Amino acid sequence: MTHVIPASVPQPSFAEAIKGRYFSTRRDTIVSLVFAAIAIWLGWSLVNWALVNATFGAGQGDVCRENMHGGACWSVVSARWRIVLFGLYPFEEQWRSGLACAIMVIVAILSCVPWFWSPRRLPVLWVAGFAAFYILMRGGLFGLPEVTEQNWGGLALTVFIFAAVVLLGMPLAIVFALLRRSELPWIANTMALVIDTIRSLPLLSIMFTFAIVLPFVLPGWAIGDKLYRVIAGYALFFACYQAEIIRGGMQALPNGQEEAAKALGMTYWQRIGYIILPQAFRNALPPTINQIVITFKETSLVTIIGFFDVMASGRAASGTAEWNFATIEMYVFVGLIFFVFVFSLSRYGAYLERRLRVGTR
Amino acid sequence: MSEPAIRISAMNKFYGTFHALHDVDLEIARGEKVVICGPSGSGKSTLIRCINRLEEHQAGEIEVNGTPLDDNLDHIDEIRRDAGMVFQNFNLFPHMTVLENCTLAPVLSGRLNRAEAEKTAMRLLERVKIPEQAHKYPGELSGGQQQRVAIARALCMSPQIMLFDEPTSALDPEMISEVLDVMVGLAEEGMTMVCVTHEMGFARRVADRVIFMAEGRIIEQGPPDQFFDNPQNDRTKAFLSQIVGH
Repeated sequence: MTHVIPASVPQPSFAEAIKGRYFSTRRDTIVSLVFAAIAIWLGWSLVNWALVNATFGAGQGDVCRENMHGGACWSVVSARWRIVLFGLYPFEEQWRSGLACAIMVIVAILSCVPWFWSPRRLPVLWVAGFAAFYILMRGGLFGLPEVTEQNWGGLALTVFIFAAVVLLGMPLAIVFALLRRSELPWIANTMALVIDTIRSLPLLSIMFTFAIVLPFVLPGWAIGDKLYRVIAGYALFFACYQAEIIRGGMQALPNGQEEAAKALGMTYWQRIGYIILPQAFRNALPPTINQIVITFKETSLVTIIGFFDVMASGRAASGTAEWNFATIEMYVFVGLIFFVFVFSLSRYGAYLERRLRVGTR
Repeated sequence: MSEPAIRISAMNKFYGTFHALHDVDLEIARGEKVVICGPSGSGKSTLIRCINRLEEHQAGEIEVNGTPLDDNLDHIDEIRRDAGMVFQNFNLFPHMTVLENCTLAPVLSGRLNRAEAEKTAMRLLERVKIPEQAHKYPGELSGGQQQRVAIARALCMSPQIMLFDEPTSALDPEMISEVLDVMVGLAEEGMTMVCVTHEMGFARRVADRVIFMAEGRIIEQGPPDQFFDNPQNDRTKAFLSQIVGH
């Protein structure tokens, strides 16, 4: 809680502020002390476990097992991090997987730079980044040995699925939202039915359907790798949720915006592209970021149909007889990876909101 | 040049089963300034919005600059480019600067390149007396300034007709005159203007003709002197006495 205090009012000193906020009555004092004690105890236990009594260094597996201080055994991370990041990807080619991930992260960072925010630059950047990622991962070109999708895994697979889903799903969501708003009732109603149906299905069942049932239905040439079918299913699922988010953003716009654009002689696509969508996205930014974060986290559901995403790889890394006591440390490591991605996403979302607010005052 | 700027004949408009406009006939000559007034719900805004197809009419004909307003999208586009419109709530694009608001449509329509469009926009912003606000966002301007930008934006398409839909109704009283001054200036330059407004002083000063509407019909029309000093219809008299009564 920050309050704007007029310049003439004297600011209380730090000690005074603490006293006023936490120790102003006897009950406040008791509550503050109790919770401070709990917080200190929790913090101390955590530091003890994670740092003081912990074991570090790759070759320390036996040390960990024998001298159980109750501390964490980070050796498992030093020893097995490659599995978490790269899954089943062939050992001597793992630099490719790492480089591919780095390219995706760089593309993501670049697309946060306002210079790239033009209808031409952004798609070019993403298509190029994606192509580079795919060529590096898949190989079979420029003398790189081929690595099929079955052997992709770990962080690289998670990043690939996530980026592909958002990239396919976002344009699809825009199309869905526009169809849902169509002036022709049969189009709008059909779209509403499709969106509501898919939203009412669990993501897991959609993934199963696309991975396992679809090959029985589709003609042979249209089946493709299981990975792409899963991505297609997930993208459809994402698009249905995101379409409603975008539609919500459009509905918040006053009618006058579209009318003014019409009165200026702008065509339908010009109105959508320059007036409606930019404002709808700005209105829908917080739920959009939310949806993207959820999408990133739910990529781990692909484990169920036999992919080694970063979560499954983490479990595999601590799943051997040698390391099976260090499951928690492995989960902490995987959790940290998720945290880095999700936290950067939220911070970026907050930055965007601040930046885009300029025009609304 | 004897062809009228706007010709409306036997036009009817329905909202569902509600009959909003009854057999409206109206011809507006080039260069003519027409003020439409009437009680709220009388159909005056609907009438002006039918002229550029923001509302669709169900029967009768509308022609603007000789182009028939029908379901042909090319005709609708042509009419919208010929007729600029200013709204009660300004409807500036809040995510664009004032200058971008003014240059967007001319550039997108291919009329002007960016440099020409910016030059035109600056000239028109100067004319509405706010060139110094060109790089601000609409939300940073007062209502009167926003409405003047809206006028400049419409003028950037070099329209031959300007439609004003209650341009001063949403403004604080002290900002009304700055907008009216711009409109008077436009009128003096010979622009064809159709204004829905309650500013009777403005009507008296610039209008060639004042039209009174009630319940979707044109009840009475005439030159301002006659309209204000010697109204014929009882409802016109009642309406006028209400506006000047207090």
